[in-house]
Amino acid sequence: MGIRLFFIGLIVTALAGGGFYVLKLQKDNAILKANAIKLESAISEQQTLIENQKKDFEEILDANKKMNELVSVLKKDLEDLDKRFNKKNRDVGKLAIAKTKSIERITNGASALATRCIEIASGSPLTEKEKNATKKSEINSECPSIANPNYIPY
Amino acid sequence: MLTLTIFLTNCSGVKQLEIFKQEVPRAKLDLEKPTPLQLENLQWIIITSENADEVFKKLEEKGIDPVLWGLTDKDFELLAKNFARIRNQLMVTNNLLDKYKEYYESETEKENNE
Repeated sequence: MGIRLFFIGLIVTALAGGGFYVLKLQKDNAILKANAIKLESAISEQQTLIENQKKDFEEILDANKKMNELVSVLKKDLEDLDKRFNKKNRDVGKLAIAKTKSIERITNGASALATRCIEIASGSPLTEKEKNATKKSEINSECPSIANPNYIPY
Repeated sequence: MLTLTIFLTNCSGVKQLEIFKQEVPRAKLDLEKPTPLQLENLQWIIITSENADEVFKKLEEKGIDPVLWGLTDKDFELLAKNFARIRNQLMVTNNLLDKYKEYYESETEKENNE
């Protein structure tokens, strides 16, 4: 009788232990599933972050490139101005003595164009005429790079 | 007794505190860009030793004080170059401002949309 009870107790304990173990496994499984979902979502968030960073770097590179382009075209405008004064050892002073009226007219014309250049540089919008200028006779010769975006020097 | 204890313990459980943070986007600076300049055109007069009298006479005839601020041809060249440099600097600064606005403000808009 005693031995029978002992075996019954052993079997019941084994069954209960097995049951608890299965329950623990199920609980662990649920935790693992939840962890897997969290990891997947973390990976997807990281991927979005990496994509956004990549986009930001591209934007920064593009902005840098455009700024460098602007600086170099502005530098060219300045060099052109220097050439205009000193082209082929030109002496503006002597020219002004010889052709006072025409140099005065040219100076006033260039001065008006240079004034317009400053307005554009300060943010004034381009006029249709300035935008559409493609010929040398149509452009603002003082700053074609900023005043006439469609003009290609020839 | 045991049933009552279990019943009471379950009912009076302490609730777990939930603390959450919500990120509030930084307010936009949103400063307006300065109004573009509208400049006046000025009149250059070239005076040589030969036409000086004629120039002053004309000024007097027009009722303008016969006085002029003078520059040599070399200084005129320097003035033109200085203006071109100021113009270039203005252009670069304005462009820089646009780029910063474009980069940071479009980012804020994107975040707000999300």
